[in-house]
This record gives sequence, C-alpha cells and structure tokens, in this order.
Amino acid sequence: MDIPILKIEDFLIISFQNELSDHDLEELRENVLEHIKKTNAKGLVIDITALGIVDSFMARTLSSISDMAALLGTKTVIVGIQPAVALTLVELGLRIKWKLLTALNLEKGINLLRKSIESEKEIAHD
Amino acid sequence: MIGNEKLLEELTGLLEDNADQLKNQWVKEMTEMKLLEKLTPVEIEQQSSAIYDTCVLTIKNGNYDAAKKYAREMAKKGVLEAMTVDQIIMGMLKLRDVYGRFIFSKYQQEVTKLYKVLDIYEPIANRILNIVALAFVQERERVINEQQLAMLELSTPVLQIRDQILVVPLIGTIDSARAAQIVEQLLNSIVDTQASIVIIDITGVPVIDTAVANHLIKTIQASKMLGADTIITGISPANAQTLVSLGVDLSMMTTKGTLRSGMKLADEMLRIEIVEKV
Repeated sequence: MDIPILKIEDFLIISFQNELSDHDLEELRENVLEHIKKTNAKGLVIDITALGIVDSFMARTLSSISDMAALLGTKTVIVGIQPAVALTLVELGLRIKWKLLTALNLEKGINLLRKSIESEKEIAHD
Repeated sequence: MIGNEKLLEELTGLLEDNADQLKNQWVKEMTEMKLLEKLTPVEIEQQSSAIYDTCVLTIKNGNYDAAKKYAREMAKKGVLEAMTVDQIIMGMLKLRDVYGRFIFSKYQQEVTKLYKVLDIYEPIANRILNIVALAFVQERERVINEQQLAMLELSTPVLQIRDQILVVPLIGTIDSARAAQIVEQLLNSIVDTQASIVIIDITGVPVIDTAVANHLIKTIQASKMLGADTIITGISPANAQTLVSLGVDLSMMTTKGTLRSGMKLADEMLRIEIVEKV
C-alpha cells in the first residue's frame, strides 16, 4: 500500500488513514528516509489521528523512524495519538523516549517543530 | 397413601383458609420482637399480606418467581429504610416458625402425614428465606458499588486554570482502579481543553510507594503521548526520602516543591512559547 508523503515548506507530513501491515510500515520507513534525503526536509510530522489501534510493532517503528530521521538531521513529531491508544500503549508497558516530540494535533505539531528548530538555531548562533 | 400433589393442594387450602390467623400471628410475634417499630399499621398490614401471598403462591406454584420478585422489592425497600440484615432475616425466620407451628398443630394427630407435609414445606420455606437474604445482600452490594463509583468520580477533579494549563490535585490513597480512572479523565481533559501542560499536585497523597510512583510515570507517559508536559508538585520531604530509598527513578519527571512554583514554571514554559511564536 502506498502512503502519500506530503511536503509543506520545510516539513514532510505523513497521515495514516487506515491500519497498516507490518510490511507496509517497513516500506514506509524506507520511503520516508529516501524522501528526507531528497527534499532535505527539516521536520517530519507523522499524524496518526485516524488510528484506533496501535500495536507495539507500530510504536517501535514510529520511534525508530524518529531516531533515523534524527541521524539525517530531521526532527520528528508524532501527532494525534488518541487517548485510548495512549492508555493501551502505557498499559502494554511501552515507554516513549523523553526526547520524542508529540503533539495533540497537526497544527500544534507543526508549531512545536518550528519552535524546536528555532531554539536549536538560537543555540547554534550563541 | 396420598400423593404429594394432593397433599400440596390440601396444604395450600389450609393456608388459604387460615390466612388471617397466620398474618396476625406473624405480626404479633414480629411486634413482640420489636422488628416492626419503624412501620405504620397500614404498612404492617401490607407487609404481612405481601409475605403471606408470596409464601402461598410459591407453595402453590412450585416455582420461586413470586419469591424472587418479592425479595427484590423488599431488598430495595429495606435498604432505603435502613433495615439491617438481622431484622430482615429474623422476620423471615419468624415467618417460617409461624407457618411451621401452624402445620404442626393441624397435623399433630396424623404423624406420617405431618412428616410428608413438612417434607414439602421445609425446602420451600428454606429456599424463600435464602432468596430474600441473598437479594438483600446483593442490593446492599449494588448500593455500595454505586457509591464507590460516585466517590471515584468526585475524587479526581481536573481543573483548567489557564488556557493551556490543567491542574490535577490528588487527595487520598491511589490504588490501581483510581489511577486508571485518573489517567482516563486526564487524557480526555487534555483533548477537550487542548492543554499543553499538566500539573499534578500530590500534596494530599499520604504515602507514595513504588506502585504509586509507577502510576504517576504511566500518567506522565500517556499525557506526553498527547503532547502535554507534566509537572509534579507537592512531594513531601517524607515521601521524597521514601522514593529515593526505594530507588525509584524520577529523573525524567519535572518536579517542583509546591503547586505555586509549579504554576510559575508552567507560566514560564508557556511564555517562552508565546514569545517564540511572535
């Protein structure tokens, strides 16, 4: 299944619309990294608002996408985790990394990315 | 040799013929035991009729639907009027007595028949007693559960004190049921209010052990997944000592001594956001 990867300004946006198989996810990971390299995007937004179920494989893949993107110099924010999903993940014993960026919705996520990129620039200038 | 069915008919006939005597006897004995003090004469009349009808119906039909229905009503009423289990069971035992003695007096000339009638009567009477007592206990448990749920809801307010700040003051002990309820309520509030900072104040939590710390970590994790940062405030010196001695790692938590300083920090965090957006 092909998941569209959208580009707005310096950001890439992936929005999941339905459940993905493990294979789809692995494919997506490769595609995203290729895209990041091609477009030189500064930020990546992964929107999972539409997902009612997130299993541990998916959670791990998302986290690994974020780590890999970081190696390419791109910040990742995950947006739209549903309360029920958050509860399940926590109950599964899954711990997200504290440096992983998360936001309630797409708008907040993009703002958060901007802010975080800005503050890095400031540090670099200092 | 008389068949059981015939005997049953005879027994119900006897009970029906002596309805008033049975009712009055029960009321008399109940009054002597001071079990009917809370009831008015009209209510006593209703009660004795209801019980009598139930018993006769049950003996007659051989099924316990009437008894179950009566027990349910009785249980609701009993709990509402704060009757004790003791009173209810005593009342039923008295009833069993009264009918038993009545049967004895009627059949004392024919011992074999008496045994047969008792064979019919005893299991039914026991079963009715059982049903009523059970219904009463179940009703009480239901009320207790309801109250517990209500208390749970009351015990964890989630307050919005600024546009993007939620405060959760926790008071009392936190067990897993309550912790689960807190997380759920908090997450829904985050979505509703679009909050980005949550302050959890645990001044009112008397003991914080590994389990409670674990619940807190889970809560913070779940909030983080919805994009809200959490500040914990109000850890008492005693609790701080316990947590460190237990080896609980809270290094990834933002903590502040008091709710006041926690709110200050939250304001600072938001102000940075506001300045940067401009």
